Amino acid sequence: MDSNKLNGAGCYTEHGVSGYGVAAKLSRKEPMNEAFVKGMAETMMLTIADKCMELGARCIGHIKSHLRTEAGTIKADTIGTVHGSYSSGTLTKPVKDLYIAINSIIQGIPEEAVKAATLEGMHEVADQRGLSVVKEKEHAYFDAFDFVASKQDYVKQLEEQLSAAENPDSNQEK
Amino acid sequence: MKITQIAGFLGCGKTTLLLKLARDMAGNGKRKVALVVNEIGEIPVDGKIMEESGMQVKDIGGGCICCEVAATFAKTIYRLYKDFAPDHVLVEPTGVAVPHQVKLAARMGGRDAKITMGPAIVLFDATRPAELLDMDMLGQLVTTQIKDADIIAISKVDAVEESEVADASGRVREYNPKAEILRLSSFSGLGLDLLVDRIIDWKE
Repeated sequence: MDSNKLNGAGCYTEHGVSGYGVAAKLSRKEPMNEAFVKGMAETMMLTIADKCMELGARCIGHIKSHLRTEAGTIKADTIGTVHGSYSSGTLTKPVKDLYIAINSIIQGIPEEAVKAATLEGMHEVADQRGLSVVKEKEHAYFDAFDFVASKQDYVKQLEEQLSAAENPDSNQEK
Repeated sequence: MKITQIAGFLGCGKTTLLLKLARDMAGNGKRKVALVVNEIGEIPVDGKIMEESGMQVKDIGGGCICCEVAATFAKTIYRLYKDFAPDHVLVEPTGVAVPHQVKLAARMGGRDAKITMGPAIVLFDATRPAELLDMDMLGQLVTTQIKDADIIAISKVDAVEESEVADASGRVREYNPKAEILRLSSFSGLGLDLLVDRIIDWKE
């Protein structure tokens, strides 16, 4: 059953499905409340979906995001522009910094195109809303698959992950 | 240890359903329920979201459990049996997984573990039947998922008109004349109790 792995292809490959994931830290000088963050995340999802379709995608499988802040977490996703985007979660107070993980799973375009659409969409919407992308790292999540990490650990680990990406030479021993 | 998969195409509501089912089935300690989540793409958003909801989740990345990482899935099943011995394992395959291959992989893990198979529950998104079924490459995949289903749950029924639910039900029935078809809204809770009953009572 693992023969597909040996060939480097999975069931999704033969159906033209590609995925791309990225984690980033976004910051804004003015604090962002819950409505602002949700609106930004929803717009980001739709913008990425739009860009995928412009690049030739035939179907938006699922574009999901998970945003963590010191005041709580927000989730936003879309299955295509015609379906809209949805967000949930709460922030207990306005924040200036947030960590975002985006996973885009798209049918009909190669991974490089999914990557381009995802990064362009994230940067474009962040820029429009006055956020700067302080750090970003592809193929990464907040916590390197540690499901029992505390919220503080998540943030710390992401900082380390992103720092390591910025300074690969200082992280050789890992 | 009964293994039940919640399958269906990307974006059909598997993660939301899995969380609600797990809570309902666990029922304040009545049953031990473990979750296995598999996601294609680069990063495990589903697993994170579940973990934030207080559930312990076994995440399998690096490929699809129906093909690429089937052996990893089998080992995970065995390890769950040995270390945790849950009454139920709810599995969320990727949105492009083939249910009968997921079953085969689970059985591989069950060679040295006492497992039974629950139903293959396949969700079908009532908000986009044409988008899913009428495209050449995707259509083949989605119809395969439907054909493999023991139970088909028409999902997001709260988001469409009754006629659209009927249309979606009719379309999936063409591909699978035997499966039970039920209506599901994880948002309103419609169909959840029925699914819990089906999983608990299911006999191979």
